[in-house]
Amino acid sequence: MSTAGASPAPAGFAAAGSAAPASATTAPANLSEDQTAALQEIANIGMGQAGDSIARIWKQFVALSVPRIALVESGRIPTLIHHFVGDARVSAARQAFHGAMRGEVLVVIGRGNRDQLGELMGYDGQLDLGEEQEMLLDIANVLGGACIGGIARQLGADVGFSAPSLIGTDLDSHAVVRPEELCVSTALCVEVCFTIESNQLSAHLIALMPREELVNLAQLLDRFLCNL
Amino acid sequence: MTVSVLVVDDSPIARKMLRKALPVDWDITVQEACNGEEAMTHYRAGKVDVMFLDLTMPTMDGFEVLAALQKEDLNCFVIVVSADVQPQARERALGLGAIAFVAKPVNAESVRTVLREYGVLV
Repeated sequence: MSTAGASPAPAGFAAAGSAAPASATTAPANLSEDQTAALQEIANIGMGQAGDSIARIWKQFVALSVPRIALVESGRIPTLIHHFVGDARVSAARQAFHGAMRGEVLVVIGRGNRDQLGELMGYDGQLDLGEEQEMLLDIANVLGGACIGGIARQLGADVGFSAPSLIGTDLDSHAVVRPEELCVSTALCVEVCFTIESNQLSAHLIALMPREELVNLAQLLDRFLCNL
Repeated sequence: MTVSVLVVDDSPIARKMLRKALPVDWDITVQEACNGEEAMTHYRAGKVDVMFLDLTMPTMDGFEVLAALQKEDLNCFVIVVSADVQPQARERALGLGAIAFVAKPVNAESVRTVLREYGVLV
């Protein structure tokens, strides 16, 4: 049941809003050093807000990693996610955001501690598949909304969110994203890890934005930098 | 009397945001450090009256700086400026001797309020 209950839509940018244009001729090659530094700090603050939101639900202190930012070719995204998450079997959900910034957030959770996680989320005893899926969608919704919402607020950008959907509940970490199903060649990837140290429990949040979105993002970051 | 301020953050953007939030009518000299070790070097040189301290930094994080300062008699005001806004982070920072905890993104108003509260700024 490797993808039991999975959303029929592929994991990737294809479902993140309107179809991305095939060419990226207007996209900058990369963000400048200043733009990257600004995004790093803004992501840091957004992730801090997401950490606080999930800590209030879990009623536990959540350790936050420093966000990692990378511009990667879509073919390398599965390897990158495996690098972030490790070898464990994982469950994953996704949530698209659109508006002044467009992309999607993936939430990837190691499957080993799902009952402990269920307990923190208020479920009793061993989780059945339906409960596990519901829990994943709830976590994706909280983390995605708080993080991307926090980033957008700082950039003065309006974003909306689609309902979260399930990628799968027992996946190899390489299989969370399938590059052949992505509509873009390059993506901006922002990753952070939320950990409850006492339970050895961690959730990874990975925001992916198609390279075409870099033009918009670069403008928003420039405006932010101008106001400093 | 001119007050010596040290802004400690690994992010150059965060340091800029903090400097911008400092009161313009405050008689200060400002120095910057990009990790805890650099902050301790400034402190040990006796040049820090008020330290604005980030928590998440490579090399030596904000909590480690607070612990080191306590061992060395904590002879300055430390205001923690943090993206991690969980109540436990605040409690831990205050427990380690910080006088205040300001959530990122900082704004001039919250910085001024904290400085006034502790009589650092009249």
